[in-house]
Amino acid sequence: MAEIAGVFAVSHTPIMSNMPDAPGVSRRDAAFAQFERVGAEIDSLAPDAVLLISNDHLHNFYLDNLPAFCIGIASSYISPVEGWLKVPKQTLPGDPLLGAHLLREVIEAGFDPALSMELVLDHGTLTPLDRAGIAGRHPLVPILVNAVQPPMPTMQRSVALGGALRAAIQSYKGADRVVVLATGGLSHDVGTPRMGQLNAEFDRQFLRHLEAGGLDVAAQYARAHVNSAGNGAEEVRNWLVAQGIAAGAPFETYFYEGMAEWYTGIALGRWRLP
Amino acid sequence: MARNWVLDVPTDDAYRIGRILFDVQHDRAEEARFFADPAAYLASADISEGARKALAETDIGALYLLGANPYLLRAYCLQLRVPEAKYLAALRAVEGQAHG
Repeated sequence: MAEIAGVFAVSHTPIMSNMPDAPGVSRRDAAFAQFERVGAEIDSLAPDAVLLISNDHLHNFYLDNLPAFCIGIASSYISPVEGWLKVPKQTLPGDPLLGAHLLREVIEAGFDPALSMELVLDHGTLTPLDRAGIAGRHPLVPILVNAVQPPMPTMQRSVALGGALRAAIQSYKGADRVVVLATGGLSHDVGTPRMGQLNAEFDRQFLRHLEAGGLDVAAQYARAHVNSAGNGAEEVRNWLVAQGIAAGAPFETYFYEGMAEWYTGIALGRWRLP
Repeated sequence: MARNWVLDVPTDDAYRIGRILFDVQHDRAEEARFFADPAAYLASADISEGARKALAETDIGALYLLGANPYLLRAYCLQLRVPEAKYLAALRAVEGQAHG
């Protein structure tokens, strides 16, 4: 049976790849050092696969068919889909057997995710892997959460899906060690009148709730306050899926800074699993 | 109270506007057809007259109020090389209408 060897979360933004120097060298380096730390820690866990919880930014999905949750079960994924992203186009290996197992198990647990074997992953997957220095190094199972177009799955539902994924990982016989990397948020706006503004108080309070552990309070806080933190903050759903996978273990924040020059509250950290 | 979205559920206008924004961003043939003659492209589009006018005039505030997804609207305006200051000014002019 597979062990959940580590559960991490990091923010993502295309701007940290396209305009890395915008915050100044020292702040850039401080943030990038934390991405590299997360990458090194993931490598040190020698995972057989990485479950990557992120969201599509209306590249793979549109209103013709928009899944609340989608599990990738392909053997490989081309990325990035965005021609303008300053990260080399590449093919990331997938883990179709683990993906298929997770899909079957969470359906048995009462969830109804979509599946895809044709995802062309966007910056929400590639930029954190690239900055962490682990792009292409570990087979991926991407899980994409709708965080960009209402109506979206609730914050609580995201935690619950994480709980089902936890059980599914632990019942998998095809791998020894699985690492989870969630990515998104924190506060930011994309394309709205508030674009460029952050809400550091939301970010810090959300992180404090994760640090305290438990399954409910961070989701309740996010539900109550996400409208003050921007449409990009809807991506905290990805963190909440990971919190469910971590069974509400306390989160250790490695880094937080509101990086307005990157248009995003940047946080990174790791759940402290028992 | 601040809100992240104009619409809780997309309307027909939001869908049809977004379809154009999505296609022009992702489909190279549609992108070429659009930029070859934007007026002709929009004249033949199956959209409401209000949406057609907003797109034809690149009325960013109107498109936002009609529920165009902000991710798609932002990408579309980058394709059109609309300066960020102009983009934000247009949105901020309708912020009260959009979000109260």
